[in-house]
Amino acid sequence: MTFETFLAVCLSGVVLGALYALMATGLAVVWTTLGIFNFAHGAFIAMGAYVAWQVGNSNAGGAGYLAGGGATVVCLFALGVLFHLLLVKPFERKASVVLLSVVTTLAGATILEGVMNLAWGPRSKQLDPIAPGDFAWGELVMSRNELVMIALALAILAAVGAFLRYSSTGRAMRAVAQNREAAQLLGLDVARLYALAFGLSASLAGVAGLFIGSIRFMSPTMGAEPLMKALIVVIFGGVARFTGPIYAAFVVGIVEAFSSYYIGLYWTPAVLFALMIVVLMIKPEGLFGKHERSV
Amino acid sequence: MSGAPLLELRALCGGYEPVQVFRDVTLTMEPGASIGLFGPNGHGKTTLLKTVSGLIDPWRGDILFEGVRLNREGARGRRASQNLNYDAFTGRRMDPRRVVRAGLIHVAQGNLLFPELTVRETLAVAGLATHGRGDPDALTKYALTLFPRLSERLDQKTRFLSGGERQMLSVSCGLIAAPKLLILDEPTLGLSPKLRHELGEAVRAIRRTGVPLIVVDQDVEFLKSLIDVLYLFDHGRISGRIERADMPSHEALMRMLFGEAAH
Repeated sequence: MTFETFLAVCLSGVVLGALYALMATGLAVVWTTLGIFNFAHGAFIAMGAYVAWQVGNSNAGGAGYLAGGGATVVCLFALGVLFHLLLVKPFERKASVVLLSVVTTLAGATILEGVMNLAWGPRSKQLDPIAPGDFAWGELVMSRNELVMIALALAILAAVGAFLRYSSTGRAMRAVAQNREAAQLLGLDVARLYALAFGLSASLAGVAGLFIGSIRFMSPTMGAEPLMKALIVVIFGGVARFTGPIYAAFVVGIVEAFSSYYIGLYWTPAVLFALMIVVLMIKPEGLFGKHERSV
Repeated sequence: MSGAPLLELRALCGGYEPVQVFRDVTLTMEPGASIGLFGPNGHGKTTLLKTVSGLIDPWRGDILFEGVRLNREGARGRRASQNLNYDAFTGRRMDPRRVVRAGLIHVAQGNLLFPELTVRETLAVAGLATHGRGDPDALTKYALTLFPRLSERLDQKTRFLSGGERQMLSVSCGLIAAPKLLILDEPTLGLSPKLRHELGEAVRAIRRTGVPLIVVDQDVEFLKSLIDVLYLFDHGRISGRIERADMPSHEALMRMLFGEAAH
């Protein structure tokens, strides 16, 4: 393996890592705030890609990349709030909410996939790259699109992290996540903060979908495989800290890149799952986790 | 609303379905007066207070604060079947947000607060509850002079605090919320005598600033120093009302509640 190949594999791992970090953070926000797992996250990813395609792509809406991205964030936020209202809120005071929401979000995902199939058809589409062309640095050649993607993903994550940490709404969101009853006694609007968390998570999924749509082909079920990886990342990294899933995403991305290179694409998921089980046996709360369930 | 009582409970019934915990609790608090609740554990004091602050729905009866009804009118909606979803089909009678906005602040028993938030962040969240009744910054400063120990630990996460410090933080949160009426549910629970004294002094200081209190505690001497009227509460109802002047000693009160053989 030459040094150039090594760098290229590393870079592709970092690209995957940035995407997984976006998706996993979205999942973790809902998980830590509402205490449920959102199985519609994969469908949100696909929906984000389709909205961006419909609004922004040159062979559809043609409004440009920025407009497409904006439409994705707004539409997915609304969709997330709607999903919370219809699929999670009616059950949130039940003891069995975790199990119920597994079924309801799965149902929501299936319905959403059907809607996407109906609206856009099963034929694969692709988004134009954000920045076309290659970027050469010495002997290393990188696609500009991927570089922009990594930078944007990190910037978005930093913004979300700062929002949760420093803004008063973000603080309130973390408070509700950690102790719902105490938050109610301080008059926080639990329903609104839950909806906000769900919307934020869906927006993050939408942006991840937009990025995936520009490097892979889009289909209504395109979110299923990334969702599985994001799940591995969340469990792998733990959710004790906001940064836990982000570190884990890059670890998983790079492991995946090297395993694809050496072992082959076919066995990569098996390698990842085996790795995850080993990690869980040694550290059940995740690689970077100390405590369960908090932002 | 100057003539209206501060808090009025009218034939309040409630509990955790299907178990009724308290029934027909009627109670009137005059403006400026503080009351105490005293009674054995497990007889519904905490459930009653949780109902007043809207965490659980009252079954029947009304809660009036400064003459304004906090609950929706009428009895609690009945489900056709136990299997139907109460939240989806009947709607709740109480909204804890409305209670806080009215100025009724409840410091829960053994309040664990937010384990991963720092003390500073927790106090900032409490400041959101003032709703214009007071200045959160000034109140935070006052709370920190009452509990100097907390100002040394501002950047610690709540889960690293000791039980006493957590209790202080909990009471501080209640104070920073600028209450018109502050409910303290066993503020000295599980504290050492020294911490109990420290916390007691702070609560008395809060009382002196003119905040009326509802205090639940097992220590009659502590209650005596704070309240004007003591209500005895057992088996889910109010079984007695004692003015401060005729308040008996701890032993005498225990005999009243449990009889001679109880000790």
